[in-house]
Amino acid sequence: MASFVAGVDVGSLCTKTVILNSNGSIVSYNIIRSGSFYKGAAETSYTSALKKAGLQPDDIDYIVSTGYGRTRVPFRDVELTEIFCHARGAKKFFPEVQTIIDIGGQDSKVIHVNDNGDPIRFVMNDKCAAGTGRFLEVMAAGLGVELDEMSELASRAQKEVEVSSMCTVFAESEIISLLADECEKADIAAAIYRAIARRITGLVGQLGLKEKVVMTGGVAKSAGVVHALEERLNTRILVADEPQINGAYGAAQIALEKHLRHYCRSCKKS
Amino acid sequence: MEQKYRLNRLETTRMIGPMVDQHWKELRTAKERGEKVAWCSGPLFIFPYAMGMKCHFMAGYSAYCAGRGAGDQVLEVAEAEGELRETCSYHRMHMGMAAAIKKGIPIKEEVILPLPDLLIIGRLCPEMSHYAEALYRQMGIRVVGIDSPPPRRAEDVLPLEKYFENQIKEVLIPTMEEVCGKPFDYDRMSEILRILKETALLRNECWEYFKCKPSPWTLWDYGVSIAPVFYLMGKPEGIPYYQRLKEELAERAKNKIGAILPEEKYRIYWDGWLPWAFLGKFIRKFVPYGAVPLVGKYPWEFFPHPETIDPEDPLGTFVKQVYSNGGLARANAPEMSLPLLEKWIDEYSLDGLVMFSSKTCRMWNLGHPDIIKRIERSKGIPGVVIEGDMVDSQMISESQIETRLQALFEMIEARRS
Ligand code: SF4
Repeated sequence: MASFVAGVDVGSLCTKTVILNSNGSIVSYNIIRSGSFYKGAAETSYTSALKKAGLQPDDIDYIVSTGYGRTRVPFRDVELTEIFCHARGAKKFFPEVQTIIDIGGQDSKVIHVNDNGDPIRFVMNDKCAAGTGRFLEVMAAGLGVELDEMSELASRAQKEVEVSSMCTVFAESEIISLLADECEKADIAAAIYRAIARRITGLVGQLGLKEKVVMTGGVAKSAGVVHALEERLNTRILVADEPQINGAYGAAQIALEKHLRHYCRSCKKS
Repeated sequence: MEQKYRLNRLETTRMIGPMVDQHWKELRTAKERGEKVAWCSGPLFIFPYAMGMKCHFMAGYSAYCAGRGAGDQVLEVAEAEGELRETCSYHRMHMGMAAAIKKGIPIKEEVILPLPDLLIIGRLCPEMSHYAEALYRQMGIRVVGIDSPPPRRAEDVLPLEKYFENQIKEVLIPTMEEVCGKPFDYDRMSEILRILKETALLRNECWEYFKCKPSPWTLWDYGVSIAPVFYLMGKPEGIPYYQRLKEELAERAKNKIGAILPEEKYRIYWDGWLPWAFLGKFIRKFVPYGAVPLVGKYPWEFFPHPETIDPEDPLGTFVKQVYSNGGLARANAPEMSLPLLEKWIDEYSLDGLVMFSSKTCRMWNLGHPDIIKRIERSKGIPGVVIEGDMVDSQMISESQIETRLQALFEMIEARRS
C-alpha cells in the first residue's frame, strides 16, 4: 500500500501543508492565512491538502508540525522548530545550499546548514517585526498598493530615496512623509526593499556568508527583496518555485525519514 | 516529545527564603533604629557592612522586588517619571522605587526601602553613572563611584587592580568615615571575610557536583543559593546553609539522583545574567526537554577562589578577589573567559551553550555570537543567543525563546545521531 506523510507549518501569518509520497515527491500542498486561531488553521490547511491529493487522514503515516504554532497541531506525531525544517527543506530543494535566509511573517533568520541538512548555527531577528513579511505588508498598505505589485513597481524606480528606519511604525510614517513630498511610489518601493536587505545583511554578517545561498519563506516570492539582497550580498540567491512551503516541505521530509526508520524497525521485528 | 520530564527540587534551597526576607526586613527598618543605610552595586557592599551600615545591593533588590511580584509595578512608576524603557531595568527599578517614596505613589510596601545616606556604585557602566547622577540630582543623595574596568589582557590585571585599590583607599573609605563619623572598621571587614571564606569554600564543594552525571542540581538552584556568598556575606547562617546543601547534593550524587527526572538529556551552559524575575518561567522551558542549565560564568564570578582570601589583609585580599585572584571584574571580558569556558565544556560534559542577552544591560552580552562560533569550532558544540531581560517582562518574547531553545536541543540531537 502506498505510504504518505505530511508537514504542517503554522506560521504567524500563513499556514502551509505539504504531503509527500514515499519517494519524497510532493503530491499536494496548500497555503492559507493563519488568522488568530492556529489550531483551526492547521486543521483547515491539512484537510484541504488531503482533499487535493485525494487522500484520507488514515492514508497519512506520519505528521511533523513546525512554525510559530507548531504546538497547536493536535494531529501531529512530532513538532520541530522551523529552523530545523527550513534547513532540511532547503537542502532537499538545493543540495548545494550552505546558507539559508528565511524571511517569514514575523521573523527572519539566517541558518548555516551541514551536508546532512541539519542546521549548525543560526541567528534570528529580535522580537520586533522589522524586515519581515508583516513589515512588507504594512509598507505596501502605506504605499496603497498590493503586495504582489510591489516588485514590479520597484523595478521601475528612477531615483534613489531612502527609508532609513526598520521599525515598522517609524518606517510607515517615513513612507507617508515621502508620499507627502511627492516622491514616486516606485522609488519608495525600491527603498523599502533596500531597507530590508540592509537588515538581513546584518544578520548574515553575524554568521558569515557561505555560498550557495537559498532564500525561503513568503518574502522570497518578492523578486524586489531577492534582487536587493543579491546586490547587497554580492551573490546569487537561489529560490524554489514556491519558497513559502519550504518549512512544511522540510517537515514532511523529516516525517518521511522518521516513518521509514520506524517502518524498518517494525520490519526487522516481524 | 514522548518522554515526560520533571524537576526534582532540592529541600535545602527552601531555607534561603527566610534568610533573604530577614535581610530586607532589617534594611527596611534600619532608619527606625537610627542605623545608616547605603545602596550599593558591584561587590562593594563589604565596606558599608564593615561600618555597621545596612546595605542594599542593586541586583539583589531587583530580584527581590520582581520575586515579590512588584517588578512591573515599580517599572511602571519609573516610566511615568520619564525613564526610557531602553535604559537598564535595574536603574529604572530604583528610580521607580525612589519616585514612589518621594511622591507617595502606592507600591507594594515590602519593596519600599529607606533612601540611602550613601550610594556606592561599582563597575561603572554608562548606565550606572546615569543612575548615580539621577539619584544625586533628584534626591541629593551622596554618591561614590568606584571604577572596576574589566581587563582585556593578562598584563592589564595588575595596573587595574592598583587603580581599583587606590580609589577605595583614597575615596571610598574616607567618604564612609565621614558619613558614619567613625574610623573604618578593618577588624569587622576581616571577620566578614573569614565567614565569606568558609561559606565560599563550601560553595565550591557544592559547585563540583555540577560535574556529576546526572547533575544533582541546576544552575537555578545555585542562583537562589547565591546570597550567602554575596549580599548576605558575613552572616554566619550561610555556613550551615551550604553545609546542608552539600550533604543533600552528596546524597543525591551517591544514589545517582538528578535534578531532572527520570533522566537528564542535555547539559547546558548559561551565559550572562540569570533572569532573576523569571527563573521559574525559564526552567519550565528547559525541563520538558530533559535539559538542565548547569554552570555559568556570571554566577561563578562571586569569589571563585576563596582559598586565596586572607582575612588578615582585608583590603589587599579584597582587591585581589576582584582582579588577580578572582573573577569579579575579569569574567565578563570574553578574551579572558573563553579558556575557562573551553575547560568547563570538558569538565562538566556540556552539550550546548545558551547566551542570555539582556536587552537593557549590555555588560554581560559581550561577544556572544563570536563566542558561539569559536566554541563551535574548537569544541563542536552548538549555542544560541536568547534575548530577554533580568526583570522587565516587556522585554521577553516567550515564543521566540522557546523556538531558540528547542532549536538548540534539536541541533544537539542532530549531532548525536
Ligand atoms: S546596565 Fe548592566 S551593568 Fe550597568 S547598571 Fe544596569 S545591570 Fe548593571
